[in-house]
Amino acid sequence: MNSIEEKLWDYIDGTCPPAEQEAIATLIEQDEVYRKKYNELLQLNMEFASMEVEEPSMAFTYNVMETIRTEHAKQPLKATIDKRIILGISAFFVLTLAALLIYALSMVNWSAGSGFKMPDQLNLTQLKVTHISSYFTGPVVKGFLFFDVVMGLFLLDNYLRRKSATR
Amino acid sequence: MQSKLSDIELIEQTLGGNQSAYADLVKRHQRFVFTLAMRFAKGREDAEEIAQDCFIKAYRSLSAFQQQSKFSTWLYSIVYTTAMTFLRKKRIDTSSIDDDESYIQIEGKSSGYDEYNVENKSRSYYLNQAIEQLLPDDATIITMFYKGEQSLEEIAQVMGIEANTVKVKLFRARQRLKEKLERNLKHEVKELI
Repeated sequence: MNSIEEKLWDYIDGTCPPAEQEAIATLIEQDEVYRKKYNELLQLNMEFASMEVEEPSMAFTYNVMETIRTEHAKQPLKATIDKRIILGISAFFVLTLAALLIYALSMVNWSAGSGFKMPDQLNLTQLKVTHISSYFTGPVVKGFLFFDVVMGLFLLDNYLRRKSATR
Repeated sequence: MQSKLSDIELIEQTLGGNQSAYADLVKRHQRFVFTLAMRFAKGREDAEEIAQDCFIKAYRSLSAFQQQSKFSTWLYSIVYTTAMTFLRKKRIDTSSIDDDESYIQIEGKSSGYDEYNVENKSRSYYLNQAIEQLLPDDATIITMFYKGEQSLEEIAQVMGIEANTVKVKLFRARQRLKEKLERNLKHEVKELI
């Protein structure tokens, strides 16, 4: 930083130490070369400071915010679902199933089958097989089974996904 | 109408989920960010793309803003990095119009351009024209110093260089700008004659 111009720019910008600032101020007052150059640079400085800032298009802010909104919307639903909700649903079904199982087991007459004797000749034509649909009567039971199946598939899917992710 | 809240207050609101606060931040800084982008892209479309990209990047990493510097300084560093990446990608010819890297020292000679009275075009037009002819780095330093309210230290932070280097670069950039301004005005006067 030796040239007159460099010193004067420092003086104009106020980046030189106070002692140097004073020395340059004295030089500007006394030296014609310094004064002329100082006035020239001061004028340039004013000119540079008056430069115009560009204006983007009218829709600029809208475009930025729209892109941000789209990015938010693109986030997978899976990530936005709280895990506690899934755990809650799972717990509800597990507890219901367990309660039903306990109730069913408590209703079974365990001594009923003790006197069973196989027939000597099994006549298949006379055999009455209870149709499976008879067990699934009632809309509540059907609905419950439907949810169980869906839940089972969901958990299976979850398990398979995790398995493939660990590979 | 722009928000009267400070940048930091708007950032806090944005982080709290208020997207319109970020829109206010964009409105506040868009002109300068776009101007900086123009120093690199030289075309409005590309500059707008860069500027938009910068605001989206800033939004994504807003939570990482430590508030150790001004928001504008942090934002301009994103602009600088994004614009440099853009230049590398597009391989734009970054050389000035006359490919003159070295500046000519004009000492003891008064600035000639103020002797001319060019009436048909404003001085700001010639200044903008001269800035466009500068190297992106020179134009960026001058723009940040005069219009971005950034100190030499802050410019250094944006550009990832030493403050003293910025000081030297600023001096050289001013020299080059002065030369270009004089040359353009002389050329204009010759054409008029």
